[in-house]
Amino acid sequence: MPVTLIYRKQEFQLEGTITVKDALQKLNLSSASHLVTRDGELLNDLEPLRNGEVVKIVPAISGG
Amino acid sequence: MYCHRCSQKAAIRMPHHRLQLCKEHYLAWFIEHTDHTIRRYHMFDRSAHILVAVSGGKDSLSLWDVLWRLGYQVDGMYINLGIQSEDDYSNRSQRYAEEFAQQRSLKLQVVDMARDYGESIPEVALGSHRGHSKPCAVCGLAKRHVMNRAANDGQYDVLVTAHNLDDEVAILFGNTLAWDTDLLGRQAPVLEARPGFVRKAKPFCRFYERETVAYALLQQIPYIEEECPYAVGSKQLRYKTLLNELEEERPGLKLNFYVKYLQARESGFIQPRPPEEGTEAEAHRCPSCGQLTTSSGLCTFCRLFEQA
Repeated sequence: MPVTLIYRKQEFQLEGTITVKDALQKLNLSSASHLVTRDGELLNDLEPLRNGEVVKIVPAISGG
Repeated sequence: MYCHRCSQKAAIRMPHHRLQLCKEHYLAWFIEHTDHTIRRYHMFDRSAHILVAVSGGKDSLSLWDVLWRLGYQVDGMYINLGIQSEDDYSNRSQRYAEEFAQQRSLKLQVVDMARDYGESIPEVALGSHRGHSKPCAVCGLAKRHVMNRAANDGQYDVLVTAHNLDDEVAILFGNTLAWDTDLLGRQAPVLEARPGFVRKAKPFCRFYERETVAYALLQQIPYIEEECPYAVGSKQLRYKTLLNELEEERPGLKLNFYVKYLQARESGFIQPRPPEEGTEAEAHRCPSCGQLTTSSGLCTFCRLFEQA
């Protein structure tokens, strides 16, 4: 089962062990503009994500 | 990856500070850093009566939380703009602000544009040239007016807003691209009081936006995650995205841009434009709301609402 990333009500899936930073990059998202949480725990950008895990991508920029 | 201050796993890495911290040390660092910024720019002291503008978002609720933890006398104000989206944006934002205040027994003043001024922001914008295509300009003008009025009426010493470094840098970037020297000269961590206008301060001006999000997440402060529906595709958001792409390649670029700007301003390289001769003297009270204005007759805000 791949890693599931939830971003703005959408789900994305990536295979294999991958760092937060690399996962964001694969989704074309900048780690300067996004944070990732797993079960409410904030993950640093070098934290590995493993198959089967579900994480949430939190946008860190807003504007108006 | 471990915390630089203990053996716990790091929750956040901040390459621009060459610092990585665990939850406990990050929260302590963030609170301490806010107090340091307040003192560095002589924003206010513990005797000041402070009004914080809250939107229900991560920045303003985090700011209110930090000021409260630091022991400042701080009340909040929320402006319900009447923005209705599929997520019921304004009403949901208000509930986050109210719940935050209730949990900490803090005083929150709510101004509802439709209830208190007769029209919501999108309604007013529709009837005006200024905001016909997008209500952001009307929204900014109305918020500045209402916040200033609330701060004056409540006799607050200072109005604080949660502008973070990304906000400041995006504004600075836009004003530099346009070489708008007047606006460039006006940007600062503290805007001193002028007749009719309350003193303003931005205690989060040196925090990256991801740092304020991290604070809200780690402190478990519920906030509205949805973006204002009118902000989608905004110029400011585009500038922030661009600047973050550069930041990833060159950590510290945003902080350096802002700090060097402040140094240039302090050394006189960029100067706020002095008021035109007679402008201060010509300011009069708006016959409708009583606030000082340099427009003839009604102030811009009252004219806008009357027009609508």
